[in-house]
Amino acid sequence: MNKIYLWGVIITVLMLVVTYYTLVITAGDSGKDLSEILSGDIVNLLTVLAAMALVVITVFVVIKYVRQMQVDTADGELVDDSWDDIGEFRNPVPQGWAVIFLATMVWAAWYFTIGYPVNSYSQIGEYNEDTKVLNDKFTKDFADKMQEFSEEEKTEYMINMGESVFLSECKVCHGLSADGIDGKSADLNVWGSAKAIVDTINNGAKGLNYPMGDMPDRNGIMNANKDYAPITDLEIEIVSSYVANGMKGEGSDVFAGACSSCHGLDGKGMGGMSPNLASYGTAEFTVDVLNRGKKGFIGSMPAFNRLNATQKQAVGAYITSLTK
Amino acid sequence: MFHWLEKNPFAFALGVFITIAFAGLVEIVPNFAESARPLVGTTPYSTLELAGRHVYINNSCNACHSQLIRPFKSETDRYGHYSLSGEYAFDRPFLWGSKRTGPDLLRVGNYRTTDWHEHHMKDPAGVVPGSIMPAYKWMYKNETDIDTAYAEQLTVASFFKTPYTFTKDIGTENARMIPMKDGSTTYIEMGDTLEDAKRLALAEAKLIVADMKDEDVKDAVSKGKIPEIVAIIAYMNSLK
Repeated sequence: MNKIYLWGVIITVLMLVVTYYTLVITAGDSGKDLSEILSGDIVNLLTVLAAMALVVITVFVVIKYVRQMQVDTADGELVDDSWDDIGEFRNPVPQGWAVIFLATMVWAAWYFTIGYPVNSYSQIGEYNEDTKVLNDKFTKDFADKMQEFSEEEKTEYMINMGESVFLSECKVCHGLSADGIDGKSADLNVWGSAKAIVDTINNGAKGLNYPMGDMPDRNGIMNANKDYAPITDLEIEIVSSYVANGMKGEGSDVFAGACSSCHGLDGKGMGGMSPNLASYGTAEFTVDVLNRGKKGFIGSMPAFNRLNATQKQAVGAYITSLTK
Repeated sequence: MFHWLEKNPFAFALGVFITIAFAGLVEIVPNFAESARPLVGTTPYSTLELAGRHVYINNSCNACHSQLIRPFKSETDRYGHYSLSGEYAFDRPFLWGSKRTGPDLLRVGNYRTTDWHEHHMKDPAGVVPGSIMPAYKWMYKNETDIDTAYAEQLTVASFFKTPYTFTKDIGTENARMIPMKDGSTTYIEMGDTLEDAKRLALAEAKLIVADMKDEDVKDAVSKGKIPEIVAIIAYMNSLK
């Protein structure tokens, strides 16, 4: 018997013994019996078996190659070429590899001409799909809610949505509490009330970019019913309450005399010539401002067409709720 | 078949290099050339806007603000349409940025206005509670460097053929007309001389200052000086 086999058996036995004692010591540490550990959990048993298999396989593989080095002689056909005077055997490519290689080339041709062009991933395509899914979900959720909600819940829902849009889009100029940050922008807590209209009549207004142009301050507003006398403080009070009340109550005569030449008798802005005062203080008016933007006395506000129609309505509902 | 190559390693290496380099060129160059072209409606910066861009770079605004909107809904909801490569055709260098401590500014001109920037640069936390952006008070005093902006315009116009039109060329066949989205064409005027450039920048500054409140800044502009704040607002407003 060759000495190497003897060594193989000795090493195998030695390593198995070491494995056994490692197990015994481990079992002793955990305070359990060895057989209890091995039978209790299949993973432990498998681990031990694998360790033993590793020992045996390692030893026999090593023996195989050592034997090969001891006894093998070179044979095979040498190639014709000699690059540096060291001969090389002719080693043809294994058939399986050659087949896979050719298959790869066929696949590459398919991928180049059909696979990629037809199925190619597009970042923008994924974006468009995502956006569509999210927008559809928003539309559907909203429609569902509007179906099932009572009027009160609808209003509350719109105000809440409006507040969240306000906090992300509007607060940088109008402030967290919508007070206009010390006059840096319009005070939306006042907007929509008679007080704000008094202010507008006193100072004039500009910036919504209607064909009628800017509204003059009080010196430019005359009451046609009183021989074009400049509007008085009392008239301003009356007409402001009238507009803030949704064109109802006392003051229609002053409105007809002083305001209707631009805003129309009904206050609706003469079909888009000037702002629709009949909707002043409502969400519709806010939506109009969001659509047009405003370049007024305080500063300029960009148009917010980045918001969708529902969001604009919601902002309107929120701002309207601030003044009530 | 290729024994000659196998016996000449240097030639072999060279051949491999040429083959791979050629493949790279074929794949990269046409795509790059296509996407580096300005979009319809993309115009070069005017003198004052370019000076404002220099202020932006000088103050390292790009360290905290990116100018690149990725195609995700969360980004396009906040900042507007995702970026397209042709939009940066006249940005030298581009200011994509790698970090957003503050928000993206690529389209800030669409949703912030002159008066807001004026308040904000003076006291950021005053308009945005909790903002950690420092105040840039010196911008209200420092004078804008129009000379450098004009030098850059001249350079890019002659070297990169950026479509600027000299004042003297307006209306002639030398005018570099730029196609716009609505089908019309426009031109971006550039002064014939440094004096002209300063005059143009001042005219632009007056339009900006009309929307501002700071009396010192208004005063300076009426005296023919342009504080940096005016230039950077012009640049911000041009980002759309």
